[in-house]
Amino acid sequence: MGVMRIGHVNLRVLDMDAALGHYIGVLGMSKTGEDEAGNIYLKAWDEWDRYSLILSPSDRAGMNHIAYKVEHDSDLDALRQRVEDYGIAVEEVPAGTLQYCGRAMKFNLPSGHEFYLYAQKEFAGKAVGVTNPDPWPQNRTGAAVHWLDHALLICELNPEKGINKVAENMDFMKKALDFYLAEQVMVGPDGDIPAAAWMFRSSTPHDIAFVGGEKMGFHHCAFFLDSWDDVLKAADIMAMNKVRIDVTPQRHGITRGYTIYFFDPSGNRNETFAGLGYLAQPDMPVITWTEQELGRGIFYHTGELVPSFTDVYT
Amino acid sequence: MARETRQADNDGAQVFTVELLDTGEVFACPEDQTVLKAMLALGHKGIPSGCHGGGCGVCMVKVERGEVRSLPMSAEHIGPQQRRDNIVLACRSFAQSDLQLSVAGKMKMNMKPRRYGFV
Ligand code: FES
Ligand SMILES: [Fe+2]
Repeated sequence: MGVMRIGHVNLRVLDMDAALGHYIGVLGMSKTGEDEAGNIYLKAWDEWDRYSLILSPSDRAGMNHIAYKVEHDSDLDALRQRVEDYGIAVEEVPAGTLQYCGRAMKFNLPSGHEFYLYAQKEFAGKAVGVTNPDPWPQNRTGAAVHWLDHALLICELNPEKGINKVAENMDFMKKALDFYLAEQVMVGPDGDIPAAAWMFRSSTPHDIAFVGGEKMGFHHCAFFLDSWDDVLKAADIMAMNKVRIDVTPQRHGITRGYTIYFFDPSGNRNETFAGLGYLAQPDMPVITWTEQELGRGIFYHTGELVPSFTDVYT
Repeated sequence: MARETRQADNDGAQVFTVELLDTGEVFACPEDQTVLKAMLALGHKGIPSGCHGGGCGVCMVKVERGEVRSLPMSAEHIGPQQRRDNIVLACRSFAQSDLQLSVAGKMKMNMKPRRYGFV
């Protein structure tokens, strides 16, 4: 079946204690491991694999790598071949290189972002178990996010110099990893320059997104919540904890998600994302947003593109 | 500017005066609030505001005059050169005296031309 879903992101943080206060205290994740390098592993309550977030102590913010889980071990070899045939070098790393994971395939997206595919990660189980489970755990804390839902990566876009890493990533994800395109933003005088893309392998509108910017970077990773009420409550919890909120609860035009953009204490952007959006399927027609309606695509109610959306990232 | 430092705010913190040379904005900054937060709290816009975590670099300012104390800042944006030039991130810096600042971000994001939607 190939890629199933986003597996984890590895973020760099400037202050680990502050980061744990945020991801555990405010978002409600749990610590599920650590290693000698000081990396901390975390999972959300509705996830069953051991972690979906690695925090690494560093002198700078941003993302070290992003990883996606494939269904079968044999998918790793098949996809390795596809990626190499596409012209991108792949390094196979042995089990344990990604902590608590089996062997993995490591390569860089055309945009430069470090990307892993793996088939196996240690099992931890949902907080509610699998036998006659409650709908949610009673002892949850903070916003109690369900799972890591997707990530948005900033890719270099400079049409005047002929650089469009958004378009290159779109082509690569489609041809080498069988991702489907749900929505795209087309810009430029003739509306023919792809400037952003939302792509999926699961049945939600995106498992990964790419947006054009000045240079490669990490825009955000999003955590799932059930409903609009949960989004409002999450924003309240953030306000109580003086979390820096970038965009208060609002709807995205693109993907239809209910969103809050906010920052972790090192300045990495997070999102809480609620609602299914819509059922994404391989034969669904691609949705296109034009440059004129771009603001509405990102922030549906105000319809205004805030400068921080494209200029503030790590 | 030789303005006198004000006594104290409600919780007894000293309050300094910050002047932004680019826009001429002047605002009060308690010693226990970052320069960026103090600016935003009073409705000013002169310094670009982003992540408030020292990670994104948009709030970079040059301390032209005065003293600041800074929390850890991303080495991606504040390296040895910036330290020598008295450049800090306003979201991680506290006033220790009255200040004169100039915006030091490579592009003042609010005024950037965008020819291709996002860039
Ligand atoms: S606002 Fe991001 S570094 Fe200051
Ligand atoms: Fe998102």
